[in-house]
Amino acid sequence: MFDALFRFFFGLSPVIFGQGEVRFAAWTGSYVAAAAVLVAIGVTVMGYRSGRGTPRARATLAAIRIALLAVLLVCLFRPLLVVKAAVPQQNFLGVLLDDSKSMQIADNGGQPRATFVRDQFGAPDKGILKSLSDRFTVRVFRFSSAPSRATGEKDLSFAGSQTRLGAALSGVRQELAGLPVAGLVMVSDGADTADAALGDALLGLKAEGLPVFTVGVGQETLSKDIQVGRVVTPKTALKGTTLMVDVVLSQSGFDGQKVTLDVEDEGHLVSTQQVSLPDAGTPASIPVRFTVSEAGPRVLRFRVSPQAGELVTENNAREALIDVRDRKEKILYFEGEPRFELKFLRRAVTEDPNVVVTALQRTADNKYLRLGVDSPDELVAGFPKTREELFAYRGLILGSIEAGAFTGDQLRMIAEFVDRRGGGLLMLGGPRAFAEGGYAGTSVADVLPVLLDRGNVQPKDSVSRVNVKPTRAGSATAVTQIAPTEAASVEKWNTLPVVTVVNKIDTIKPGATILLSGTDETRRERPMLIFQRYGRGKTFAFLPQDSWVWQMHASIPVDDMTHENYWRQLLRWLVDGVPDQVEPHLSTERVEPGEAAGLTADVVDPSFVELNDAAVVAHVTAPDGTTSDLPMSWDGEEAGEYAASIPTRAPGWYEARLEATRAGKTLGTTVTHFRVAPSDVEYFDATMHAATLKRIADDTGGRFYHANDTATLADDLRYTGRGVTTVEEHELWHMPIVLMLLVGLLCAEWGYRRVVGLA
Amino acid sequence: MALGAEALAKAAQGGRGFGGGRNRGAGRDLSAVGLAKADRVPYDGRFIFARLRYGGAGGSGFRRDPPWSHDYPRSDWHFMRIVEEITLTRSHRDESNVFALDDPELLNFPVAYMSEPGYWSMSDDEADGLRAYFLKGGFVIFDDFRGRDWDNLEVQMRRVLPEHRFIQLDATSPVFHSFFEIKSLDFRAYYDNDPVFYGLFEDNDPAKRLLAIANYNNDLGEYWEFSDTGYVPVDLSNEAYKFGVNYLVYAMTH
Repeated sequence: MFDALFRFFFGLSPVIFGQGEVRFAAWTGSYVAAAAVLVAIGVTVMGYRSGRGTPRARATLAAIRIALLAVLLVCLFRPLLVVKAAVPQQNFLGVLLDDSKSMQIADNGGQPRATFVRDQFGAPDKGILKSLSDRFTVRVFRFSSAPSRATGEKDLSFAGSQTRLGAALSGVRQELAGLPVAGLVMVSDGADTADAALGDALLGLKAEGLPVFTVGVGQETLSKDIQVGRVVTPKTALKGTTLMVDVVLSQSGFDGQKVTLDVEDEGHLVSTQQVSLPDAGTPASIPVRFTVSEAGPRVLRFRVSPQAGELVTENNAREALIDVRDRKEKILYFEGEPRFELKFLRRAVTEDPNVVVTALQRTADNKYLRLGVDSPDELVAGFPKTREELFAYRGLILGSIEAGAFTGDQLRMIAEFVDRRGGGLLMLGGPRAFAEGGYAGTSVADVLPVLLDRGNVQPKDSVSRVNVKPTRAGSATAVTQIAPTEAASVEKWNTLPVVTVVNKIDTIKPGATILLSGTDETRRERPMLIFQRYGRGKTFAFLPQDSWVWQMHASIPVDDMTHENYWRQLLRWLVDGVPDQVEPHLSTERVEPGEAAGLTADVVDPSFVELNDAAVVAHVTAPDGTTSDLPMSWDGEEAGEYAASIPTRAPGWYEARLEATRAGKTLGTTVTHFRVAPSDVEYFDATMHAATLKRIADDTGGRFYHANDTATLADDLRYTGRGVTTVEEHELWHMPIVLMLLVGLLCAEWGYRRVVGLA
Repeated sequence: MALGAEALAKAAQGGRGFGGGRNRGAGRDLSAVGLAKADRVPYDGRFIFARLRYGGAGGSGFRRDPPWSHDYPRSDWHFMRIVEEITLTRSHRDESNVFALDDPELLNFPVAYMSEPGYWSMSDDEADGLRAYFLKGGFVIFDDFRGRDWDNLEVQMRRVLPEHRFIQLDATSPVFHSFFEIKSLDFRAYYDNDPVFYGLFEDNDPAKRLLAIANYNNDLGEYWEFSDTGYVPVDLSNEAYKFGVNYLVYAMTH
């Protein structure tokens, strides 16, 4: 529309104006005429200095007349638009055609996006490609993850599993390097799926002055679609853990409709629930609960059943990879006084094959009872005195044990257990815990999620009785899921008996989250379970001193699992994601077949100090059983970080067993998995991304076109100013806008005279 | 840690006295003890000695007081003084509670003591109440019985936990090492016969949790009661306290 108007008024394309330069081609007659015009201006001024009418009316009329003469004066000097136009067939033009799966979406006038590409660019003798071929030597490329030459329609399959716009542009730029290239034409939906930023590729094009003309295919909003936009799951989980994950749903055309959201673990349904879809354009986060009960690398699929009329059904499901580990996570529980909390906590997880609570019970001054130790030497001297000893555990529970029971170094060790080792720390309520236990001002207080004030403690032997319930934030976590279903959990929390609290906690740390809160006898809300991440680890504060009441109380049925569920969930969370001495990281959980998987590993010694001189090897097992050993080298940048690139071939699961040794001693071995499979990312956010395509065009000096508005593309490309060009001069004095201006000024003068009575 | 006889005697004699005679109820009318909520020490997170009463409101027995109350309350209070003196357990001193077996409040006290189970009788509701207590995590000490009293204990326990059987314990059992290292079970008992210790285990598996311990041919409560009087040798009182403390620490940790 804008283009058409511009052409109507100026007689030329805005692209030509954008690239061209305005000059004047005056001749002798111009100067004579100019002198005459100046005289006319002088006469006008003199004429309007006096006479009929008010001074204001005369001034206005003089101004109009002078403007009229000025326009004439400019025209007499022959303004020209000088542009560099590509010499026909002397320049190359790169045409990049998006060959990815998303081009199969039928939202281009009811036809698949691919149809437009085939019709307009499928052969040099038809459509836009013909008009381009008439003017340029065209090189056609298809691209998805990388560009390659296309010689015809037969090379287009629209099956690419990725769209990497930046890689395509850089690749074609390099391919055409050294040739007189007028510019590039990119035909795409703009749905970039690359991890790398587009900016780097555009920088290269800008530096070279190579403009990209982009053609957007498809609609910017799908008329009817449901999308599972994002699912955040942990990368690893203990077998048997119940997870609460947020599934982000968005939709268009299905306002308020109820759909079924299913979770499948390798094809087995593990969760299903009815959800109401959010308003169009407003993504909503839906909490979903399920249990991972099978060990190994598992693909979890979050799926909404396709609805009638949906344009894209492939984006109704999102997959996530979770490495489910079947191993024993060891937690040290240090209790400072005999009390039932230890007995019932241990009992709650006795049947849990993946959580082991080793207890150090102080029964009297300097007298300890060890429970659940692996060896006669374990904890024989009481609470660990070295980092190596303490860091062997993955979780630490401090019961009612006062700060004075530790040395200063032990308190620092506990803080480092969280911060450096990445372990989970849980402090339980009790008369010897928190500020009442003298922790205010210690290193441990620094890592706790609550603020301790030594001047604000609960009076000795006074207790508060509280009803505990999940907060809004807590409801979205697995720890509050104490019954088989979410509704049953809510009901259960409402009926749980009161517990007692002997610690006064009023304030939590910034960044901490209250998961459970309690209402005491005075109806005051108090934080009961608080969580925060600290350094590499996490900390919890649990205020009740007798959660065992949730097991023993008369209102609790004998076979009730509330207490067990609560502690299993909390302790599993405590040790969830706690790093090993050799901790692997994958750049992506899914790798395209044939691409290399980027694998890094953080390697530390038993006291979790980074090591840069370890020998790290990745023993890789491919899906067909073939094995290979890849040495991993320290990357020289991050302390203790080793990297390797693992080549892949066949699709399937790859296992990488990382082994780190130093001076002949094994530091640790960790197994990780990654999947080699075509990505389904193409179908997510699969609308036409006009903003991305506009950005490419704007940053490089090109233009963006909608697929249905490409009439001027071929002509516009002639005026990029690149390649072999010739100079074209376009007279500007006869532009329609000039005539309109002159006529308009004359009409204005006449009209004004009528208004002020001077006609 | 060695438990000094003097320390025990001193601890037991501390605080307010109970009188020195054998007047078990200390002059109280025991017919309603444990039945009224107002009489009880409310649960506040600290340990409170809980004694089980049976046989209905009036009680029955061969002596003047009902058998459940033998040695009550002096033995209970003496024992708690010892516990408080030598362990870090926070507890109520000179106070204890009495509960019927089907009293819902009993469930707030996961360790309970029953005296004279040879005279134990109960209703079906009480059997159900005690069964729930055991299965949820409660621990019961049976004390002060001998000879054919055993038969009644077994009969009653079969009503409570029909699938469970008492298993004789030896000195290697963890309950004898939870606080004091009790290396021998040779205990010169109050009765003529040698004492034997029986345990009732979860799933009848000695590797699992001990639900109850029975001091057969023994009467720890008697030693606890008279530990401040000189009626019984201090050494024996000392040993009786050791067993009691171990039971308690075990029950709080296992």
